Amino acid sequence: MSNNNEMLLIPKIELGIVIDHIPAGQGPKILDIIFQYEEMKDVPVTLGLNYTSKKLGKKDLIKLQMDYLAPEIIQHISIMVPGVTVKAVKDYKVHSKVVVHPPKEIKNLLECKNPNCITNSEAHIGTLFTAIDDSAKQVKCYYCERIFALDELDVVIP
Amino acid sequence: MKKDLISMEDLSIQEITDYLTAAVKVEAMPLNERVQFLPGRIMATLFFEPSTRTRLSFESAMHQLGGSVIGFAEQSATSVSKGESFTDTIHTVENYSDILVIRHPGEGTARLAAKESHLPVLNAGDGSNQHPSQTLLDLYTIQKDLGKIEGIKMAFIGDLKYSRTVHSLIRALMKLNVTDFTLVAPESLRLQKYFMSNDEPGKYQFKETDDIEEAIKNCDVLYMTRIQRERFPDLVEYEKVKDSYVLTASMLKEAKEHARVLHPLPRVREIAYDVDKTKHAGYFPQMKNGVIIRQAILLKHLGVQL
Repeated sequence: MSNNNEMLLIPKIELGIVIDHIPAGQGPKILDIIFQYEEMKDVPVTLGLNYTSKKLGKKDLIKLQMDYLAPEIIQHISIMVPGVTVKAVKDYKVHSKVVVHPPKEIKNLLECKNPNCITNSEAHIGTLFTAIDDSAKQVKCYYCERIFALDELDVVIP
Repeated sequence: MKKDLISMEDLSIQEITDYLTAAVKVEAMPLNERVQFLPGRIMATLFFEPSTRTRLSFESAMHQLGGSVIGFAEQSATSVSKGESFTDTIHTVENYSDILVIRHPGEGTARLAAKESHLPVLNAGDGSNQHPSQTLLDLYTIQKDLGKIEGIKMAFIGDLKYSRTVHSLIRALMKLNVTDFTLVAPESLRLQKYFMSNDEPGKYQFKETDDIEEAIKNCDVLYMTRIQRERFPDLVEYEKVKDSYVLTASMLKEAKEHARVLHPLPRVREIAYDVDKTKHAGYFPQMKNGVIIRQAILLKHLGVQL
């Protein structure tokens, strides 16, 4: 599929957020993440699948008609689908662009699996995990110091 | 800026060495000199879990330094039993003291207290996570008894899964270039793999075995631990393993001449009383070193330069 066809299927937006360079097949996963957040429930969304990409071969693409994507949602996406590009569009032009990678510190998103961790009995303090490798495949609870594989931890949306 | 002691993971080699050097200076100092260091300073001991040695040695250490002590030794004597949160308890007690010493069955509690409070916080044991003052006294004892720490061969026997003293000590020893570890534990109480993880492939050797006699023969320090009934979610599992390993004097016949048996205490059945009389028994002097190292810790965290 050419770039022209892509433009026809997903037209440029005047104002919004574009999540680009999503590995093909991962777009629906990101939509699932986005719709877990209450404030995103009514946002108009366009999802494109299997577009040709120089970088990835095939890619998915999401356009959101809204002017601001909350940092905790970006953090969530960066952990589940690292390496995507988040662009802010104003007046049909890309105003800012950032490639999102898992952060060194993951705040108030993951639940500690250690039942004896203080974050489970004093829930008001929130949780904090630090990545112990660059890909954040393993994370360490700041409080109880247990190390977990990222995919064994449950995500908790406040 | 206040300084906390929460986990051995936070300390550099230099910082560990500084504590041990300070302890040597404290031990050499007569009591009438030590008592002049902390007059008017108050240490609060917040013990949400039972303790004999840690609490009393911290309290003894503070009294010998001329300071005084407030606190509680069980949760039922506090407003926590009325439903007060841990963080509210910390914010209350910090108004009455200069330093907080905290033991709690929950993991991460000392880290949370340190984050919440403007006072220095000393972790006196958080669940099965860390017990840094015990580790520092273990290191001080090894240094005193063997004359060195780097390169010694360690054997750990007993509950390696739930024992915070083991977790703290292994990570500290790895920093101090101890590379040879023999681990003897029932299958359900083995050390979790992440305590062995490190960035230097091939440097450390962790040998897991059931052969306690082989472990005794090869090690410089035999670190015994109690099978901790209070950490078991299922007491049937505790009954299965409670008497897995019992060290007796006759088992030490093949030990190296200088080998030391250490134990954070209390012991239950894992060290027979006939071991006490052998030249290898190091756990009573180890316990005595607790007051010295805790004085070094209190002085450092209350800003006294030696």
